[in-house]
Amino acid sequence: MIKTLHPLTLFCYFVSVITVSVVTLNPAILGVGFVGAALFLALEKGKTALKQIAFSVILVVIIAVTNPIFSHNGATILFFIDDNRVTLEALYYGASSGLMISSVILWFSCFSALFDSERIIYLTGRAFPKLGLVLSMILGLVPRLLRDFKSINAALKTIEKRRLRRYLGAFSALITRSMEDAIVTADSMRARGYGQKGRTFYSRFRFTALDFSLIIVFAALLALSLVFTSDVNFYPNFSLTITPAGFAAFVILSLLPAVIKLKEGIGWSFSLSKI
Amino acid sequence: MELFSVKNLSFTYAGQTLPALRNINLDILSGEFVTVFGESGSSKTTLLKMLKPQLSPRGEQSGEIFFKGNKISELNNLESASKIGFIAQNPEAQLVTDKVYSELSFGLENLGKSRESIRAEVAEFASYFGLADDFERSVNELSGGEKQLLNLASVMAMNPEVLLLDEPTSMLDPISAMKFITALKRINDELGTTVIIVEHRLSELLSISDRAVYIEDGEVKACGNVGDVCAAVKGKRIEKTLPAVVRVFNKLGLSGELPLTVRDGRKILLKNNIECKNNSDKEINTDTVLSAKNLWFRYNRSDRDVLKCFSFSLRKGEIYALLGANGSGKSTVLWALSGRVKPYRGKVRCSERLAVFPQNPRDLFVKESIEEDFKSINNSYKELCERFNLTDLLSRHPYDLSGGELQRAALVKVLLTQPQILLLDEPTKGLDFAAKEELGAFLREITDVSIVVVTHDLEFAAAFCDRCGLLFDGSITSENSARAFFTGNSFYTTQTARLTRGIVDGAVTVEDIYEA
Repeated sequence: MIKTLHPLTLFCYFVSVITVSVVTLNPAILGVGFVGAALFLALEKGKTALKQIAFSVILVVIIAVTNPIFSHNGATILFFIDDNRVTLEALYYGASSGLMISSVILWFSCFSALFDSERIIYLTGRAFPKLGLVLSMILGLVPRLLRDFKSINAALKTIEKRRLRRYLGAFSALITRSMEDAIVTADSMRARGYGQKGRTFYSRFRFTALDFSLIIVFAALLALSLVFTSDVNFYPNFSLTITPAGFAAFVILSLLPAVIKLKEGIGWSFSLSKI
Repeated sequence: MELFSVKNLSFTYAGQTLPALRNINLDILSGEFVTVFGESGSSKTTLLKMLKPQLSPRGEQSGEIFFKGNKISELNNLESASKIGFIAQNPEAQLVTDKVYSELSFGLENLGKSRESIRAEVAEFASYFGLADDFERSVNELSGGEKQLLNLASVMAMNPEVLLLDEPTSMLDPISAMKFITALKRINDELGTTVIIVEHRLSELLSISDRAVYIEDGEVKACGNVGDVCAAVKGKRIEKTLPAVVRVFNKLGLSGELPLTVRDGRKILLKNNIECKNNSDKEINTDTVLSAKNLWFRYNRSDRDVLKCFSFSLRKGEIYALLGANGSGKSTVLWALSGRVKPYRGKVRCSERLAVFPQNPRDLFVKESIEEDFKSINNSYKELCERFNLTDLLSRHPYDLSGGELQRAALVKVLLTQPQILLLDEPTKGLDFAAKEELGAFLREITDVSIVVVTHDLEFAAAFCDRCGLLFDGSITSENSARAFFTGNSFYTTQTARLTRGIVDGAVTVEDIYEA
């Protein structure tokens, strides 16, 4: 169901969830965000996501362990390295920043899993129609250039044995060729009336009532999370407060995609079992 | 009603003194299917581009072109963009965007149509052209033929009254070309869209055209119904591009209405006495220079086998044509023979120096002039250039050469590496008849080199190759001397062979037939 939503709705979702994640260092909130993003990524991409999630966990550990080496604040001393204190608070601080970085990375992975070229072109094209077209042209051109480079390189193989010279030659030939082809492309654009005023932008997405209500929900949850912030203090002593309203809002916000995805999966297997 | 009316049109390109078009008078009626042909350099493309204001070349023009009674120069930009559709030769470079649906909607967006009307029109055309399943695909996944059909569909989505096509099938294989022409015919029949097509592959086109126009040196030399125009070019060099049926008919000097299809041609031949010249096959050396035994190959572990128990041997000094449909693995065979891919079973034995001539000869040129390119291999190019008629072109940039010239230059570059075996991948693609003949003659001339030609072009194989093999399902299923191969096949053979099957034995090319 998530992929049937309008790109603008999805975009608003990621803006809200990432905004909350970058303005706080509260490990409870960041932990919830991390779990929400990881769950969704695993459900969306399957096995390939596990590597990414494992990497994010390792990243959290690395940042948590390295922070005390550089920061010696905090009241609870664990041990000394040379004459430097290693404190529990610095470890907490490292873990929290690690969580923040990892969860933002995971949210971006979720974003790129959902946003194929069509959605990205749509979002840019809505704001800047020409830029949207350029993006679409680039996405069409790049695979073609790669393929042409391979074919030129293969053609030269029996003639030029020195690899570096062959690559350089193939590269310069590729540039000349794509300029040559660009003339044909420009003609084809002109022939189809490009350059007139009032160019419109076609997309296959529809903005439905559900999209509208979801954006309002996201905005409300974002506002709640930002107003009723849960505080955290690391130095000199670690202290954590949780404001129920804001915390609950963020829990709903970050777990929403995973829950929808789960429910959908169950729905599918249920309807399949009836066949 | 006249859709286009060209009155006394002459045109000279800016910076040139000789006119490209001379005193052209031409009326095109609404709903007509018109084929324009002529030798390379006869300015037929220039004429076509003059009919599309956005693409009209710069230069000095006299005379006037009228579109639906109004001067074409006074047409507003939006109108001429949507009413006059243009399709060029290169299927890929014409594509603007990355996805099929965005390509289809590109023109409509330019016209400033609303989202809802674009949605409706795109859906309609995708359904009509059978592109509905490909709608979300990336354009780079399409084959050349599908790309050209997409170009046609994207132009048609703007609902033009006339389609101008500049050699649209010259870069396609015969099957895709046939599909494209069938689609054109359908558009013309069912929608009444006027079609004006410039083409040098005429076999399938003439039988569906209402009229033909023959252009020579920028002048309309013949214009009228297809039969009359075909009769008018009798004896000219261009006659060779006409369908074999027409050429046989012309050669035998038969009277009556000119046949354009094999069916009509057979009816006439059955009533006449004809004979076939008995060409004996060239003696072939039995020394093997390149052989492959029981090759098995697949691109990925999970893919299907592309080569299955493929065996092949090339004899010294022969020209071998490897034929087969799209996707039968013809190019893979070349790569396996040249060592570019390694079969997982079987062995290739090659005793001599080998060179590959790529499908796109542009791939071979990386320098500013072809002379520099030749020099980079060795300095003994002068003699070869003399032989291949390239001496005057040495200082040119490779991309400024015509298709035929580039092919010759590429051949010289490959021959400079002094190969004893030459593998050619689709060498006739995009060449006009004159360039093909020339290429064939050159291949015949280099007798010290053994040649494998991978091709779709049956007429070329019949005219210039010694032996032919048909690749099907990963191995060679039939193999014989060219004559025996083409007379043995019933469908996959030259038009002449289909025309004379059961009437006279052993005729493969038009040259084989004469009056009894």
